[in-house]
Amino acid sequence: MLPIRYALGNLAARRTRTLLTVAVIALVVVATTLFGSLVSSLRRTLVGTGNERNLIVLRKGATNDGSSVIPLEAFQSLRFFDGVARDAAGNPLASPELVVQPFFRTAGGGRENVLVRGVEAVALQVHDEVAIVEGRMFHPSSGEAIVGSGVAGRYVGAKVGDTLDFGRGHWRVVGRFDSNGSSFESEVWVDVRELAADAKRSIPYSGLRIRAAEGADMDALARRINDDPRYALDASPEPAYYEKQAESANALYFIVVGLAVLAGIGAIFGATNTLYAAVQSRRAEIGTLRALGFSRTAIVVSFLIESLVIAFGGFAIGATLAALLGRLVSWWLGGIAFGAATFTTNVIQLRVGASDLANALALALVIGLVGGIAPAARAARMRPIEALRRA
Amino acid sequence: MKFLPFIWRQLSRNKLRTALTAGAIGLAVSLVCILLTMPAGMDALLTQVASNTRIVVHNEAGLVYPLPYSYLQKIRSQPGVVSAASWTWFGGVFREEKGVEFPNFAIEPEPIGSVWADWKIEPQQLEEFRRYRDGAIVGRGTLNKNGWKIGDLVTLKGTVYPVDLAFRIVGEIPNERSPIFLFQREYLDQALRAGGRGGLDILGTVWLRVDDPARVAPLMSQIDEMFRNSEAVTASETEKSYFANFFSMLQGFVTVILIVTGLVALCIVFIAANTASMAVRERIGEIAVLKALGFSRRLIFTTLLSEAVLLSTLGGVLGVLGALALTQLLRAGSGWNPALGPLGSFIVTQAILVQGLFLALFVGMLSGVVPALGAARRSVAETLREVL
Repeated sequence: MLPIRYALGNLAARRTRTLLTVAVIALVVVATTLFGSLVSSLRRTLVGTGNERNLIVLRKGATNDGSSVIPLEAFQSLRFFDGVARDAAGNPLASPELVVQPFFRTAGGGRENVLVRGVEAVALQVHDEVAIVEGRMFHPSSGEAIVGSGVAGRYVGAKVGDTLDFGRGHWRVVGRFDSNGSSFESEVWVDVRELAADAKRSIPYSGLRIRAAEGADMDALARRINDDPRYALDASPEPAYYEKQAESANALYFIVVGLAVLAGIGAIFGATNTLYAAVQSRRAEIGTLRALGFSRTAIVVSFLIESLVIAFGGFAIGATLAALLGRLVSWWLGGIAFGAATFTTNVIQLRVGASDLANALALALVIGLVGGIAPAARAARMRPIEALRRA
Repeated sequence: MKFLPFIWRQLSRNKLRTALTAGAIGLAVSLVCILLTMPAGMDALLTQVASNTRIVVHNEAGLVYPLPYSYLQKIRSQPGVVSAASWTWFGGVFREEKGVEFPNFAIEPEPIGSVWADWKIEPQQLEEFRRYRDGAIVGRGTLNKNGWKIGDLVTLKGTVYPVDLAFRIVGEIPNERSPIFLFQREYLDQALRAGGRGGLDILGTVWLRVDDPARVAPLMSQIDEMFRNSEAVTASETEKSYFANFFSMLQGFVTVILIVTGLVALCIVFIAANTASMAVRERIGEIAVLKALGFSRRLIFTTLLSEAVLLSTLGGVLGVLGALALTQLLRAGSGWNPALGPLGSFIVTQAILVQGLFLALFVGMLSGVVPALGAARRSVAETLREVL
């Protein structure tokens, strides 16, 4: 066996070559990690929204809650249907909601459509993935608002304690909420009655969210709502609704994935090539080692250790850079926005997560493995005398 | 030039490495080209589509907040306004399960020809649109996507208003990328009245043409001032800023894309540099022999540099061709998409192709110059002693 010191010593001896190779792998890791985290953040927003125990109720024919209206009577009767969950005090977990899409001003002077959702206090129980992480819930009828984390950093006056201008009024921001990266984080929540008054809507609700009781048959509940002859309504499970909403952003998703794959292939190509060339140019050394009596396996293992150390070094530098760059870009741009089917803005943060890092590590090690093992094995297979002569 | 065969032979010495390097450069160049189409699509949309004498007026609170219909008359009567028309979002769906696949608006038929003279809709089609209450003028993008042609009958189901409207397509907007579907406002108004709901007394946006570009800015502030204390406050914008704002949210994506593009470009410089230095290192002995034979330093430097440039240019050409083919494919597969906006237009302009080739050329220069210089400078005796 060749001592490990030999492999490590080699890295130190060819400092420029080692640094160059590490730099190439680090760049590959940065590019693929950034793309990867963009993809995973997009996915979280697109498919992660909605609770499978929740039904969304809209007017028949409406494709989203922006184009739906629900009369007050319908809400009053639906919430007492069998199968609707109740809280400890016995109140039904049915959340009447109104959405509008006013303009918000970005710090750069632009304007974007943001989804503002009018809710009652029960909304926090129905959407239980939403949790207030700063400040408190708004009080009804007091001109207060709570903002999603995606909104807070992006628009003028959207920080807790600030005053936010949208629609016709001014709203005091009293809290900020998270929802595990789902699209609620790109919304602002206010009192539903105040929002209806501000938007001059005579019918205050655009949709209902209903939590089905534990053990209740959701399909039966949905059927009962759909078949009720008094109101032409349509109930569907929340995840199915959001999946449909996400369809228009699928194109964006596929483009980003496609580009990431393309960049990944190109980068692996290049990095492997670099590593391959680095080992191949040391044929004479391999011949010498063989002539000294080291076994093929020992030589291949030693070269492999060298390439893996380089690959790992590249990964460590690249991952650190990617994480920093991701945060920097998110902070600088106030989140990365994209449009949803309802023309509202979704904001995602470029956060490098554990799974992105794991993918990048796997990629770096594959580069190290392929780029190191193949040329070393080839050189080791040669007869020592030949390897020495051809160098 | 007479050394070209020599350079070519050098490149084909290690075919695998040459192929891998050219492949990596090619892939990276095509990636850079495709990424560059996104900001370029944004620019193209803003500079070509937007007219500098067209203003759009909408509710200051947002596009979903309507304006009273009476605003159109008031705006029309302002001095300097050549013509004005209003758009009202109908949100009609053709295939119910697909949702709104193309934007459709109710509009007054008379002013189209003058407000959007640059669209070049055939006068005869405009005349038909005026004459038939159920007529529709449709962008060629939507016509092609659905396989419709002029004369077809199409029914859209309203999502905002509870009416379904049957249309006859009487004209087209001759632009491959235009998705919009326009129909007569009066048709929707009457359908609503027939349903006992009262007529259409709101509008979405007002578009107007101004006679002189110099009057655009004063007119915009004049309009907004006029409605400052009325029931709905307006915001006026030039068409360019309207679209720019519409897609400003995509700016973040573009920035991330540009950053990654930069990284990828940097990556290929490294890769190509590595290959070039490898090629030189392998041949140190030969180069010394060439020098001993009397070939000048300058010649050796030039041939080595040319080798690197040739290799990366080859890769660049491959990459540019690949980008052209890929974007053709992508463009065929993409239509109007509110999430993608102009990023989905994938138009590879000549400028992008030239940039891609220059990137490759630049990479070749940068990667080749240091090793070539080193090889040319090395003294013959020293090298030969080391090698032999």
